[in-house]
Amino acid sequence: MLSRVAENLYWLGRYLERTENIARMAHVEHEVSLEGGQEVWHSLVSTTASNELYWEALLESPELTHSEFLLFSPLNPGSLRSTFVRARELARGLREHISREVWEEINALYLFLSRRKQFGAGDVHELCTETQRRTQTILGLYDNTVLRDEGREWFRCGMYLERADMTSRIVDAKYHILLPGDDSVGGAFDRFQWVAVLRSASAREAYRRLGYSEVDGMLVAQLLIFSVEFPRSLAFSVQALARHYQQATAEAPKRRRAGAERRIALLNLDLGASDVEQVVDEGLHEFIDEFQGRLIEVDRAITEDIFRAEPGRVAQVRLVED
Amino acid sequence: MLEGELLDGYAANAPDDEMVDAQGTLRPDYRELAEALGGWSLEEYEQRKARADLALLSAGITFNVYSDEEGTERIFPFSLIPRIVGAEEWKGVDAGLKQRLRALNLFLSDLYGEQRILKEKVVPEEIVLSSPGYRPEMEGFKPPLGVYAHVAGCDLVRAESGEFVVLEDNLRTPSGVSYVLENRTVMLRVVPDLFPRWGVQAVTDYPNQLLATLLSVGPEGSDTPRAVLLTPGIYNSAYFEHSFLSQQMGIPLVEGTDLTVGDDDCVYLRSTTGLEQVDVVYRRIDDDFLDPLVYRADSLLGVPGLMRAYLAGNVTLANAPGAGVADDKVVYRWVPEIIRFYLDEDPILQNVETFSALIPSERDYIKAHARELVLKPANESGGYGVLIGEQATEEELQSTLDQMEAEPRNWIAQPLLHFSTIPTFDEDRLKPRRADLRPFVLSGEETWVIPGGLTRVALREGSYVVNSSQGGGSKDTWVLNEEPD
Repeated sequence: MLSRVAENLYWLGRYLERTENIARMAHVEHEVSLEGGQEVWHSLVSTTASNELYWEALLESPELTHSEFLLFSPLNPGSLRSTFVRARELARGLREHISREVWEEINALYLFLSRRKQFGAGDVHELCTETQRRTQTILGLYDNTVLRDEGREWFRCGMYLERADMTSRIVDAKYHILLPGDDSVGGAFDRFQWVAVLRSASAREAYRRLGYSEVDGMLVAQLLIFSVEFPRSLAFSVQALARHYQQATAEAPKRRRAGAERRIALLNLDLGASDVEQVVDEGLHEFIDEFQGRLIEVDRAITEDIFRAEPGRVAQVRLVED
Repeated sequence: MLEGELLDGYAANAPDDEMVDAQGTLRPDYRELAEALGGWSLEEYEQRKARADLALLSAGITFNVYSDEEGTERIFPFSLIPRIVGAEEWKGVDAGLKQRLRALNLFLSDLYGEQRILKEKVVPEEIVLSSPGYRPEMEGFKPPLGVYAHVAGCDLVRAESGEFVVLEDNLRTPSGVSYVLENRTVMLRVVPDLFPRWGVQAVTDYPNQLLATLLSVGPEGSDTPRAVLLTPGIYNSAYFEHSFLSQQMGIPLVEGTDLTVGDDDCVYLRSTTGLEQVDVVYRRIDDDFLDPLVYRADSLLGVPGLMRAYLAGNVTLANAPGAGVADDKVVYRWVPEIIRFYLDEDPILQNVETFSALIPSERDYIKAHARELVLKPANESGGYGVLIGEQATEEELQSTLDQMEAEPRNWIAQPLLHFSTIPTFDEDRLKPRRADLRPFVLSGEETWVIPGGLTRVALREGSYVVNSSQGGGSKDTWVLNEEPD
């Protein structure tokens, strides 16, 4: 498969997953901040790592709200719309690798997002639910209409790597509630926050199904980080990444595939060997920080060793790879 | 017979029309369509049109407008009412196009070989060798099967005589075929009730025919050749078509940076597992950008070393570099002579009468009759720089004649053709609007002509300009099936 195509499919998977996550988190935050009377958009802006940009954008247009910046503003390259526009741009260059159904659904969401010129607080609900529903439709169509070849494996690699990263950001945004020795732990406000975390990760029903009656921070963190049954957890995402990476690189020479393979395997092992008590003891924030750093290394290895590998002289390459 | 909300009054003002004759009588090929449309209200039309536009938009069938920053994509204006060509007439067009492409490929073979046609002074040497499409580096090189113009798009119009004539040939990277295929898909969905009883000739075989053509011209020794489509990338105005065709043919769509030329002068594709050899490149980038080592050094679109690999016979480029010399608007003037010279046959499809300013007697004629002529610069496309004598102001005319005097090689003139109109919706009903037709011709082991082609129509009253960049639209073209006995 063409290296450029593989790389673009990988990023299509990442951007679609990211779009869906931003929509979901923004929707929950929107309702929580209305009901709880607290401005929590700020923490969400930090989750998508665009704090400084927000302050810069405010200088340019002082009326800009957190929600508009996060969802809609072209001044924010990480906004929901900017992220999805990049996904759609990639899809336009991948038409022969995705099905017509997938393309038309991507295009429909693009038209939905770009027809809208104004943005107000009343639009958040529709924008988020519609985006979430449609990105899930795209992912479902992809699964059911696109050939299960190497390209699909790269798409999945991108999707799961992004999911691991986004879920870790959701946990991180609330890590302070889990700090040992904090007296407020266990109060009503705390429960309210943890329910929000669960909803941000589409995990409320999953949490209930596990039979926990109380909403408890440690159990929520356990579910979101370590559960191998919950499809949005860190452990599940990394396992899936390992599987899809192996299938994507089944025919690649060892020298190309080994770097990322080793990093993913180690990440997988470390998650399996730890638990929530240990992580909270040693510092949840530090754990998440390290986890995210290791995902960046995996991404770098895939990019440098596979997508952008320099072939070198033709004669040599053939000799090595035959 | 011509009655109904959409058709009332049509025949009164349609002297050059394909649906009605000069007396306003309905032509037989349009009978079924007129009958079906007669039952349509304006509201019915508008509902169908809205559905068609939505289908095109959601399928992302768009072209890019370079000057437009915000939202670089527009849908190609689509005109719902089909254009109809009878089965018997089409046989002649089909044969004429095959004949023309056979001759043009022989001409190219000769030009880059012995140059017999120049030595025998059938075509003036100075015209050919001064053409910007002439590529000296192709001299002495013979592409597989002697084919240069694998994919051609010939622009036809129906002249006052009632016959299709050739207005120009496009032998480099003609585009538009994806609209032919997509327009048909939309028509089948939106107006199934308009299709005639015996159906229309299918256009959907085009991608298969194109693939077969490409694979038939692989370099010698490539038993199972591998083809790719080379695009300038997603910002090119025809990107949709590149993507569409590669998808339909099941071949990789590549950009210049996806390919590399090895020390062995072979072309390779960069894949996730290493390098894979490529045998045929259907390139949709211009000669000038193909290879920065040979042509424009600042080009980022091409592949360094591609010409070296090509001239070593290790890869086939379709179309061949240098094919453009045969679609030069001045060389066009000699195509009837070219057909006679190589095939010893009379042309089946006629040219439009053309005067070259480079020939003194013809230049004098142009100056004397400028008001009756259309003056065209030879190296522009998309309808730019064209001057219509009877509509021009005195200053415009003089300035064009001055330019012609300064660069006679660059100018041709043709009589103003009142080419035919076809029924096209405008405002509240069907009105006669001028249209051309671009059929696509594939040349490899076999020669194949798509039944029909891209009909482009001027959407404004009285306009002769059908180019999409200047407000034209497209239509589905229906070549009728023969009625069974």
